[in-house]
Amino acid sequence: MNAEEKRQTPENYPEPITKKDLLKAWSRWWWANEIPHTFDRMVAPSFLFGMMPILKKLYKDKKDLSEAYQRHLLFFNTQAIWGGGTLTGITASLEESRAKAFAEGKEDEAPSPDMINNTKVGLMGALAGIGDAIDSGTVQYIFIAIALPWAMAGSPIGALFPFICFTLVTYLYGYYFVRMGYGLGRNAAKEILAGSRIKTMIDALSVLGLFMMGILAGSYVKVSSSLSFTLSEKEFVLQDILDSILPGLLPLLTVLGVYLYFDKKGFNITRGLLWLTGTLIVLGALRIL
Amino acid sequence: MATLSVGQALIIAIWVAIVMSRGIGYATLTLRFSPLMTGLVVGIVTGHITEAMIITAAIQLVYMGAVAPGGALPSEPAIAAAIAVTVAVLGDFTPEKAVAIAVPVGILGSYAYQFRFFLNTFALRILDKYAAEVNDRGIFTSVIIIPIVISFILYVPLVFVALYFGAPVVADFVNSISDGPVIHVLEVVGGGLAALGIAVIMHVIGKKELLLFFFLAYFMSVALKGLEINTVTYAIFGAILAGLYVLFTRKKEPA
Repeated sequence: MNAEEKRQTPENYPEPITKKDLLKAWSRWWWANEIPHTFDRMVAPSFLFGMMPILKKLYKDKKDLSEAYQRHLLFFNTQAIWGGGTLTGITASLEESRAKAFAEGKEDEAPSPDMINNTKVGLMGALAGIGDAIDSGTVQYIFIAIALPWAMAGSPIGALFPFICFTLVTYLYGYYFVRMGYGLGRNAAKEILAGSRIKTMIDALSVLGLFMMGILAGSYVKVSSSLSFTLSEKEFVLQDILDSILPGLLPLLTVLGVYLYFDKKGFNITRGLLWLTGTLIVLGALRIL
Repeated sequence: MATLSVGQALIIAIWVAIVMSRGIGYATLTLRFSPLMTGLVVGIVTGHITEAMIITAAIQLVYMGAVAPGGALPSEPAIAAAIAVTVAVLGDFTPEKAVAIAVPVGILGSYAYQFRFFLNTFALRILDKYAAEVNDRGIFTSVIIIPIVISFILYVPLVFVALYFGAPVVADFVNSISDGPVIHVLEVVGGGLAALGIAVIMHVIGKKELLLFFFLAYFMSVALKGLEINTVTYAIFGAILAGLYVLFTRKKEPA
């Protein structure tokens, strides 16, 4: 019996992928995620770690399985939820088609390793961009913005609430992305990147995110002038004058100043931090602030 | 001046290592990007939960924008909180002073994280062999165990030394310059740095036409300060506005 015939025997036929398998792959990826981050492969080891149980069900031939393991060790980096979730689903679906095509002897119809890799690499960046902005950049800070007053009042809930909510919510919708990615296969990415439902969700989260930033800026940015001078025996306190024109002017100008700095000079957080700190030091030392 | 016991410093150091090793999966995302939970741990360990939370909240404002595109963060909020909250609790500092300590510590902390990637890169070379052999045990050891052990070797001594030997020194030093012009400057910087994180998030969200919602909320919170509306209520207002925005913009599309 040669290798081709062996693949076609029923005991070598790939087992079906169940919801439980997808949840298992998702949870393994979720857990390993950033643990083995390296410079050369980035988080590819975590992706392999996640896919292992699914690959084992699909490839009953040791050589095929070994190749599948190795191809998921190639350079890979993305955001855990949007990128990792969706690509775990899509890859499971592609690997399943490949394994089935092999088992049925239609190897020319099987998605090639190149095509599987290109799908991953082609999508990881775009999905990571969305994921960073939505999860780390918006959802996380909506929870933190809600909890911050509790922390300010000294309550541990201020720390526990955002941690638990963010972790739980992202785990759940990440799993939704896995299911969606698996269901749609290669088309999943199109759906996510251009689909109107996702666009609506991003819009709504952007509005809520910006609104909460406004509330935070108004409540917690503390910039006030300590400048006062005496004119014809009358004492003028600059902050009182500013308050009579528009309360909250200086904190707003500070936030907008940093925002415009990023807008005009490029988005470099460290440089922004140094500039802001430097400016505040000078103005504070001169007793203008 | 109060100091930490060996045990206290060790517990905080182990917590930081758990967070920075990313050992409990994506749950560590917000543990690393936000100082809040680390501040709470410091509060529990030192027995000053209330003070620790108040100080941590001020540090959180500076780090509002931490998003780490590609995995690199210019500053490490969890490490900053582990050191600065401890120093501030020991020295009975104002939150603004604590912020001024947190910022440079956080920047130093980001070098350690790059070093972690560097060590992983060498330690995980053997994965190619394990993958080719379909050696699941080997892969588990390489993907999970070894990187976590590396992080513990890297972070536990680092944070322990900084806390056990460094924290009392820093606290004493900051106290010795109290009430002078330096402290005024530190407090100005601490109060104003909160603007940074907020501006970063506004930039990350990146939709200029939606900035109106930022201005609306800003002036609502300034003008309605006397009413003491809590942020949950504001979040509900924000969610309703988001819903209305989606509703009205969708209507324009042909059905």
